Amino acid sequence: MSQSLRPYLTAVRYSLQAALNLSNFSSQEVERHNRPEVEVDNTSAELLLQPMHIARNEHEQVLIEPSVNSVRMSIKVKQADEIEQILVHKFTSFLEQRAENFYVLRRVPVPGYSISFLITNKHTETMITEKLIEFIIDFMEEVDKEISEMKLFLNARARFAAEAYLEQFVY
Amino acid sequence: MLHLKPYNLLVQKTLTEALEAYNNGSPLTLDRIISDFDYTTLHITNDGTDKSNLLVSIRTKATQSCNESGNDLQGFLQAKFDEVPGLALSSAKKEAGYDFTITVDLSQITAQSIVQASLFKILVMSYPFYLAFGQSNALSQLNEIDQVEKSKEARAMVIKYRDDENIYIKPSFDRITVIFETIFQDETDKVFGKVFLQEFVDARKRNRSIQSAPQVLFSHEPPLEIQEVAQQHAHVAGAKKSTRRFITFVLFPRHYSSDELMFTSVSQLALFRNYFHYHIKCAKAYMHSRMRYRVDTFIKVLNRAKLDEETESDSRRTITGRKMVY
Repeated sequence: MSQSLRPYLTAVRYSLQAALNLSNFSSQEVERHNRPEVEVDNTSAELLLQPMHIARNEHEQVLIEPSVNSVRMSIKVKQADEIEQILVHKFTSFLEQRAENFYVLRRVPVPGYSISFLITNKHTETMITEKLIEFIIDFMEEVDKEISEMKLFLNARARFAAEAYLEQFVY
Repeated sequence: MLHLKPYNLLVQKTLTEALEAYNNGSPLTLDRIISDFDYTTLHITNDGTDKSNLLVSIRTKATQSCNESGNDLQGFLQAKFDEVPGLALSSAKKEAGYDFTITVDLSQITAQSIVQASLFKILVMSYPFYLAFGQSNALSQLNEIDQVEKSKEARAMVIKYRDDENIYIKPSFDRITVIFETIFQDETDKVFGKVFLQEFVDARKRNRSIQSAPQVLFSHEPPLEIQEVAQQHAHVAGAKKSTRRFITFVLFPRHYSSDELMFTSVSQLALFRNYFHYHIKCAKAYMHSRMRYRVDTFIKVLNRAKLDEETESDSRRTITGRKMVY
């Protein structure tokens, strides 16, 4: 892990630990509704807490929006060039299509970010919070690795295909 | 399967089957439609009630433009099929809706003729290439001043082998320039294509063992050699224009110094677009399977976070180890 990645992930970890302090909270507006307050238009400002914005640089940022019963966390994955942009888009949409397997994954990212998670009090009740944070940190590490590996692979494959094709002309 | 083969495997198989059945005394009744790359359709049928003869017809998008480059595609194909026993290009029996038809005489054909018949599409497309080889050789015989002048005058030939994609061939006294015009259908292909094309351009510089391969160039604008011709064919709409790419192969005389080399060069070049797009698709497919695997590992990590639904202490088991259900 590079030197500047560790403090970034540590900051995200502690911020998440602080934010994931959720309790069951029924809607104040609609009877018998229990909805993630961070996702709905709210008239009661006391339910939303201060959002936290952690940035490693302009390409890699995390936004954590806590509320009384849910936390929305959005990650901006590094996209250095056109290829990485496409790969990140493909990869995140691939995950989002399988969001039901991931429980905490949001199907649509928050504008400006690559991928978003929505963690509600239901999730923290059925899962170990510490492990959930572990998952998100692990995810952030792996995504970067995966994207750069895929990019390398694409280049390697292209090189191999091109050389194999041109070799046929060597007499 | 790294390389695409120039011959059509299905045609080859069908003809081999037919030959075997014929030799065993029970000729097959055939009526098969076979497709190939670039909207090519082949049709294999019996010649009426005569089961010892087969008709193989072809229809490709390239036929018309190939014929325009020299006006004797018919004669060219005839010569190619006359080289091997049992095949004859018959204008009399040309099937309606198809461009060319050959009759295959099962009593005479050999393995070589079957191969030749399965190369039908490549043979049609190779006509302008052979013309270019001829012209280039003729130009190189001239004296030095004429060489340059006449090379400039030489017309670029066009093969319109797909809807909006063409191959341009421009002969010159010391080289032949083959330019592929290709269009990328979607954004991902465009980006992946760029990576692949860049590697094609760089491959020759990097790898010493393929120094003698044709030089490859890549541009967004029509190269100078074909600017005039490309203008005539520039009917492509504005939106598509931005995704147009030109890939130039420069063939040197060593790539067409003998008949055998001519044929291998042509068959590889005719398949370039297919090869190139095929490998883009392969890369995409691999990435897909890779992402699938990655999703599984993520889910494993996430499942570690789940609380066990019941711990050992509050579940009761029978003596055989089954769970008690209340």
